[in-house]
Amino acid sequence: MIVVDNLRKSFPISYGIIPNIKYRGRIPRREILHGISFTVGRGELFGLLGPNGAGKTTLLKLLCTLTSPDAGTITVDGIDANKHPIAVKRRIGLCSSEERSFYFRLSARENLEFFGSLAGLSGDYLRKRIKHVAEVVDLTDALETKFSGFSSGMRQRLTMARAMLSDAPILYLDEPTRAVDPVHAEQIRTLIREELVDRQGKTVILATNLLDEAWALCDRLAIMRRGTIAALGPPKELDASYARLLKYQITVDKTDDALLQRVRAVPGVTTVVAVDVPGGVNVEVEIEPTNERSVTELMRAVSDNGVVVRSFTFDEPRPMEVFTDITQAGGGDE
Amino acid sequence: MSSIAPALPLPSQNSFRATLAKAGAIYRRDRRIATSYDMAFIIQWLQIVVQVLGFYYMSKLVPPHGHFPGFSYWVINLGFSRFQMTALQSFQTAIRGDQMLGTLECLLVTPTSLATVVMSPGLWGFTLTAMQVVLYMALGMLLGVDFSHTNFLTLFVFVVLTIACMSPLGVMAASTIMTFKQNAPTQFVAGSAAQLLGGVLFPVALLPVPLQWLSWCLPITHSLTGIRAAIGLLPGSNKLAAHGAALTDPAVAADAIWLVCASAVLLPLSLFIFNRAVNRARRDGTLGHY
Repeated sequence: MIVVDNLRKSFPISYGIIPNIKYRGRIPRREILHGISFTVGRGELFGLLGPNGAGKTTLLKLLCTLTSPDAGTITVDGIDANKHPIAVKRRIGLCSSEERSFYFRLSARENLEFFGSLAGLSGDYLRKRIKHVAEVVDLTDALETKFSGFSSGMRQRLTMARAMLSDAPILYLDEPTRAVDPVHAEQIRTLIREELVDRQGKTVILATNLLDEAWALCDRLAIMRRGTIAALGPPKELDASYARLLKYQITVDKTDDALLQRVRAVPGVTTVVAVDVPGGVNVEVEIEPTNERSVTELMRAVSDNGVVVRSFTFDEPRPMEVFTDITQAGGGDE
Repeated sequence: MSSIAPALPLPSQNSFRATLAKAGAIYRRDRRIATSYDMAFIIQWLQIVVQVLGFYYMSKLVPPHGHFPGFSYWVINLGFSRFQMTALQSFQTAIRGDQMLGTLECLLVTPTSLATVVMSPGLWGFTLTAMQVVLYMALGMLLGVDFSHTNFLTLFVFVVLTIACMSPLGVMAASTIMTFKQNAPTQFVAGSAAQLLGGVLFPVALLPVPLQWLSWCLPITHSLTGIRAAIGLLPGSNKLAAHGAALTDPAVAADAIWLVCASAVLLPLSLFIFNRAVNRARRDGTLGHY
């Protein structure tokens, strides 16, 4: 279990010797994370989303102990990450979004051997793990190829292989499908959800900018905005809580001005559009999700005066709409 | 949210054997990368041949006299002073390389101690240097230098002490790389100081007395004095003693004790400084910067 409690992090506004002299060794700092708290359960796939600069990478680096917090704590299976970083590092695997993070002059196998050895693996077990993770990310045939000869997508898949190499129970995945072709990207998504999380019970924190990917894969999502968690919950709950407008499509056999006026009069209705379709009329309605009786009123308004309702469907909000609503509430990103 | 995945086995990670395995992995990485640049690898050996031949013919032009050293003095000093350069360069070069490749953060996210991360890159560097020193000595022998009087135990001890005493300076240089993201001035200072004050090219006795005191403060002075004595080269001359000095020789023992004391102080100090530099980079979020 990962528990993040009231985490704060700031960085100096500039670096180097001259700014140090200018500010007499006390360079002002800008706070990037403002008291973040959340918990990730064992075997949970937890998504981390947010616009650029929201603090996702900083948060991931804090979780990996690559950065130390100003205040607050991170505990991994009860171990304080700041006090016992080595013990925490034994439990984590990182798939970074930095595709250069290998030795260009070494082959994929030599790179994996190196990082596997530093993770504490050796001998036959290391060789078997390399073979296994290479198979999983479809790089078996490229194991003897130097990393410099890899395409961007292959590099990213090798990064994913490295993260899985030590079979750590917790994986931090920073954009694992970035630059990967659609077929392999889908394989990686299936691997994460079905194999790593559902079958092996690993805990995964997935930072991504691909909203559909996050919505489809994750048990819960944390959407960050300007160093805070603006929304946290399962995708369905976020849809229900944050969609600005609920969209309904009602197909009726016929319509007239009176019907459209009755629909417009329903509390919360903002838009009504009628479109002729074969065998009837499609009425598209947008309702503000503030009045819980609106849908009942809408159904009554449509079905009055002997109109035959052929279908009544709710258009699920698209992740982009929910994400935009959450991240732009109270002003845009910095 | 099914079964609970196990963590990696904890006890073996701290063991000495596990640390050796990790150091071995870093050694193999460095060897593979160094030899993959085949032309540069070959040229560095050719440079040694050219350098030794250059000093050989220079010594023919100006034969040893008074304080002026001869070919034996130069070959021994140039060869063994490479250990200092390796110590000063290998640690910071490794850290700098990892910063620029983007591998440093991935390395530091593994359960590997900072001491292993920073010290292990010296393994390949010192192995290569030892082989290069053998080439210096072999060329020297071909050109008339007599190593038959060498006390190999004394020589070995001084080589080990040289590495132990110089490596902390290299680790401190790596700390400056970690903090300032640029080559450490320590390399320039220590490199130049060795050439000028450490008795690499000429005996320290030629220097004015205040500089001789300064020279006494440098590890390289004591290490080269001990190494020359182990080979049997008489102080301030090109002549050989009847046999290489033993560690019980008071003058040699004094240099050895100096190096032991300096190592005992510098090694923990350098690791402390490196630890501070990494923690500062973690606090400022600059581990991956370069």
